[in-house]
Amino acid sequence: MLACHVRNCTKDNFPLAFADVELVVKPAEENLDFLRRFLPKLDWRALVDTARSLGDTALPDDMPATWTDEQLQALHHVLLEIHVEEGKMICRGCGHVYPIQNGIPNMLLAEHEISR
Amino acid sequence: MPLYFLRVSLEHLSFRIPELLSIAKLFEFELKILSTDIYRGVIVIEVDKDEYVERILDRGVLVISVSKLYAEATNYEDLHAQLKEKRELFEPDLDACFKITLECVNNRPLDKRYRQVVEDFSWTELRGKIDLKNPDIEFVVLEDYDHVTLHTRQARLDRDGKFQKVYFGKRMGFSRARPVINVQDIKQRAFYGNTSMEAEMGLLLAGQALLIYDPFVGTGSLLYAVAHWGASVIGSDIDARQFRGKQKGKDVTPGIFRAAAAYGYDQRFLDVVAFDVTHGPWRRGGFLDAIVTDPPYGVRAGAKRLGKSTTRKRNTLRDEPYQFDDGTFAHERPGYLPPSKPYELVDLTLDLVQLSRYLLVPGGRLVFFLPTVNDDFEHVDVPVVEGMREVKHEDGSLQDFGKWGRRLITMEKTATDDGPMPTFGDHSELTEERLPGHHQFNKRYLEGFKPREGGEGSEETSEAEEQAPAEEMAQLKV
Ligand SMILES: C[S@@+](CC[C@H](N)C(=O)[O-])C[C@H]1O[C@@H](n2cnc3c(N)ncnc32)[C@H](O)[C@@H]1O
Ligand SMILES: [Zn+2]
Repeated sequence: MLACHVRNCTKDNFPLAFADVELVVKPAEENLDFLRRFLPKLDWRALVDTARSLGDTALPDDMPATWTDEQLQALHHVLLEIHVEEGKMICRGCGHVYPIQNGIPNMLLAEHEISR
Repeated sequence: MPLYFLRVSLEHLSFRIPELLSIAKLFEFELKILSTDIYRGVIVIEVDKDEYVERILDRGVLVISVSKLYAEATNYEDLHAQLKEKRELFEPDLDACFKITLECVNNRPLDKRYRQVVEDFSWTELRGKIDLKNPDIEFVVLEDYDHVTLHTRQARLDRDGKFQKVYFGKRMGFSRARPVINVQDIKQRAFYGNTSMEAEMGLLLAGQALLIYDPFVGTGSLLYAVAHWGASVIGSDIDARQFRGKQKGKDVTPGIFRAAAAYGYDQRFLDVVAFDVTHGPWRRGGFLDAIVTDPPYGVRAGAKRLGKSTTRKRNTLRDEPYQFDDGTFAHERPGYLPPSKPYELVDLTLDLVQLSRYLLVPGGRLVFFLPTVNDDFEHVDVPVVEGMREVKHEDGSLQDFGKWGRRLITMEKTATDDGPMPTFGDHSELTEERLPGHHQFNKRYLEGFKPREGGEGSEETSEAEEQAPAEEMAQLKV
């Protein structure tokens, strides 16, 4: 859901690529109604690629037209339970590195990146 | 429709009615407030069924207890006379195991008088066993006194029995939501910061929503409160120290997650991210059910945004990263903090409403606190944004700290589209016509709220300060 927002960075600014990651799985309360509503907002290709880059292969290549509860649970796991504890998110467009520490991404921009 | 009397908290007076109305809205029932003086410790309401009273007991944190109203009067003679006319009210409970309780608002009754009040009900011919500990039925006599400070014991004794009104009825129950406040008491929390607000306020924002976001999350006090009612939550703040807490290093759980775990809500805390709300990474809108927030008003945790303040020597932003002699870049060093400039509250509120219009689902709600100097406040001050509508509760809810106050504003997204992501530009046109109550709030707070003298010309110096960033922005835009 998050894109690079560096000034003038509009091409390839999504999805951000993960690097040097340490993952943890934190159980999150099931909220399938929310997920169903969220589906149209997803960029499926980006999500599947990102999940695979983090080693989770449960999501199918194409977005299911109708969802079973199992498929929704797999999506729940990818979206809400796999957390990057330590690592980086890197913009493929401008190269900005957003560090993640203790599970918290730092998405503050540096001075030269702030839009005017 | 049956009537009920509510014994309500004497704190947060102007939040009590909005709370009741929002519960009624949430569970879709009609609720009428019959009390004319809504600032007392007792409120009389009308709802269709006992079942709705249960919803109020489930959710009302400012409600202490609710009883079905049999009669109300200004003296006992009248009260008993009315009740004798309605003897059938007692019929179903004549054989039940019961007790009669005398309660007072703003008074403590003498034991002797307590016994007398109870004995005076012997005419009802209640035949059931009296059980003070575990009665099946509890009748309540509630005396409502004015709030006065009495300095001598004698004055207190003399006043006992001189109430404004007395209510009689059957207890429906005690609030089940109110005890939650004690758990959320910040003193008992694993972690809290200096701007944590009372948990009670946060609880009032609770609704039925799946995903809630706080863009000025701080230490997260509002999110614990809404997570309690079942929502999943996300938050962001420009200052990561607020939610990380003091402890540093690898494997240290950030304070906000520790506190969430202490409450047992950790499965509802999805993500917390550090960024400036005006330079955010949102790629899509239209997915949040609610945004709840206590924006910075610069009194303690100041409002700031990324950029360069005009008072700095070098007041333009550099275009290239700063490189040290050793070839490393400033912004890549640990602990790098980008420059920031003050963020005027007028701009911030408008940005907040525009951002909400983008991020909320249609029908989603924005609930936020707006600080204001009371005498100046008019409703014009709530930003008007196409696609967002203010939901007003009577005069609005005001938390009054004397010279300044904090208003609880609720807005609803009426737009059905998300529109574009707002650009968070400069809104200097806003301050030209008239100054909203929250204009230069921080400055006026520190000055002790001198009234604004004679309109426009008087704030010359500060207006000059304000114009400057606008010019800077204009130059930089090219
Ligand atoms: C009044 S406090 C919020 C208090 C919060 N409810 C709590 O429990 O701590 C306001 C917060 O807004 C943050 N803030 C100020 N300017 C900001 C900006 N431009 N973007 C994001 N957060 C900002 C401050 O760091 C502060 O934590
Ligand atoms: Zn980028």
